[in-house]
Order: sequence, then C-alpha cells, then structure tokens
Amino acid sequence: MDEDVLTTLKILIIGESGVGKSSLLLRFTDDTFDPELAATIGVDFKVKTISVDGNKAKLAIWDTAGQERFRTLTPSYYRGAQGVILVYDVTRRDTFIKLDNWLNELETYCTRNDIVKMLVGNKIDKENREVDRNEGLKFARKHSMLFIEASAKTCDGVQCAFEELVEKIIQTPGLWEIESQNRGVMLSNHKEGYGGGACGGYCSML
Amino acid sequence: MGPNRPMSPPRASAAPSALPGSGYRACAIMAVPCAGMEAALAGPGELVCERGRNRKAVLCQRCGSRVLLPGAATFARRELFLPSMKKKTALVAGSDPDGDVLQEHWFVDDMFSFENIGFTKNVGNIKFLICADCEVGPIGWHCLDDKRSFYVALNRVSHE
Repeated sequence: MDEDVLTTLKILIIGESGVGKSSLLLRFTDDTFDPELAATIGVDFKVKTISVDGNKAKLAIWDTAGQERFRTLTPSYYRGAQGVILVYDVTRRDTFIKLDNWLNELETYCTRNDIVKMLVGNKIDKENREVDRNEGLKFARKHSMLFIEASAKTCDGVQCAFEELVEKIIQTPGLWEIESQNRGVMLSNHKEGYGGGACGGYCSML
Repeated sequence: MGPNRPMSPPRASAAPSALPGSGYRACAIMAVPCAGMEAALAGPGELVCERGRNRKAVLCQRCGSRVLLPGAATFARRELFLPSMKKKTALVAGSDPDGDVLQEHWFVDDMFSFENIGFTKNVGNIKFLICADCEVGPIGWHCLDDKRSFYVALNRVSHE
C-alpha cells in the first residue's frame, strides 16, 4: 500500500503567537466550527500525505501550538527537521521583525545545515497590511528562503507552500534519503542529523 | 485521577501474557493485534475484506479528508473510550468525560500508514487522533506505552 511513498519528512512551523500557524494546517475551515479543541488540549503534530511530481511524501508536521508564547521550544522540537515554515502576519509588523529571533533559534538548535526554509506572509485577506510583499520577498532572499504570501482563511497558497517546500527538500541531495530508514520513529525521537552544525550554509533558492 | 478513568475494566482474556503488569495504570485496556485479527472474521463484512483489512477508504465524516487508503489497516476489536466528538471540552484532563466506549477499530502499527491524521497533545499517556484537515475528533486513540498501535474507531469515520 505504501510502495509509492518516496520518503517521510519532518516539517516545523514556527513564528510568533497569533500569526495563524495552526490554521495554515487546516485545509478545511468553516465559521461554524468551534476551534476549542486546539485551545484546550492542543494539537501536537499531524501526518499529511502530499503528492509532488507524481511521488508521494508523508510529512510529519509539527506546530508549536502556543508554546512559543512561553519560549519553551526544546531542542528536540527542532531535531531532525528537514524543512521549516516561518510564519508572520502581514498585518503585524512586530511578527515580521521577530523573524530574526526565530532564525537565530533555528541556527542554534537544528541539527543539519541544509534545512529548507520557507517564509510565509499570512493573513493577506485582511485589509490593514503593515508589511508589503516586497519586504517579505527581500527578507526571504537575504536568508535563502522560499517565499509565499498566504491566507489560511481562504486557503490561498497554503497547499502550494507545502508542495514547494517538499519539492525543494526532495531536490536537496542528502537531506531526505537517509531519513526514509527512520520510518516509525515516534514523537521527537528522530536521530541526530549531520554532526550538529548550525544552519549556516544557505543554499541559494531565490 | 487520570483521563482513563471511565474506561471499563481490561478484557484480560484477550492476551494476559502481553500485559506489562496487571497494575499497569497506563493503558487501562490492553489488547494485542492478533486478537483483533481473529476478530476480523466477525467484522462488518461490507467494510472488512477476507484478509481482515479495510475494503474502503476511511474518511473524515465532517470534511472528507482521507485518513486511510483501502487495505491500509486491519480490523480490530478492542474496548476503547473516546471522548465525545461534540463536546470538545470532554478532552480536558480532569473534567468529567462525556463519550463512548467503542469496540470496532481500524488498526495500524505505523503512524505513516495514515494518509492524513492529527495527534493531540498527551492526555495522561494517551494521544487522541483527530482529522488532520478540520481537527474534528477524537476519531481514534494511541497509547504512548505502545508505540506500534494506532486505532481509528469505525463509528467515528465514514467509508467510501
């Protein structure tokens, strides 16, 4: 049943509180839905299957689920991740400015130096924009990240963001092949990646 | 008191030898996969194939998100308590849980057997399974003491 699954990948979603990280993971939203579950117990992670260039990849997607408010993200959260989605809210400049902190934390904790990063400017459906598209693009280019603007509310660009990220990971030699041996590794028990280097070696993407 | 409180007593007859200890608080109800395989013969015929697997795709009842492909899971009988899907506060540890003891499940031993699934944070040593796309749930159950068992209740999903 799984013969055509190319690989399993660990993806993180990080960013300030309230930028819409969790809702990026919802493909289906409606106003009648009571999101109380997320607020009470919280979602830990999700497995999603995505199709890229005719190959299926299984993603284990970890969302900080509010922990970022307390700065309690642990190194194990970052360990073994092959991709990261940094999210800011285009209507709140402070969330854009804080991206530098998130990048620092990523460099400190992530265990491989070739992690693929994508920047997502979220909530473009709202009117009071404070960060224009060019600023986001420039920041992404400076840090060799993929870039997309999105609205989780309308699901604009979200699916596309995941697909692009996965495509990039698959195109990065050495980033995912060994991980396919790690199937079933559960709940942050991922092995250390390559020698614990910082995420300094940005490859050019844009 | 842990969230496992409302579960009915263990059906130790399933496989006593597989229990880590009778006083094991963690999983109030233990069963082994082979017990489920035997029970497959008695499973709902239109949903379970002769090899004990799911004939149809397993989907979220609410949004249609694909949880399991046909043939990806094994039918298993096991008594598991799942908090109500309607009252999400039922999930909060310590609150009075409102829910159902469910018997019929789809079993997989690898979380990557799922097409799409969400895991809640721990409630005691249980993680509940929810729809990855709309977060409705719980639709299933996973105990951290057995990293190779994941259950999705037939009653909480649709089949296509």
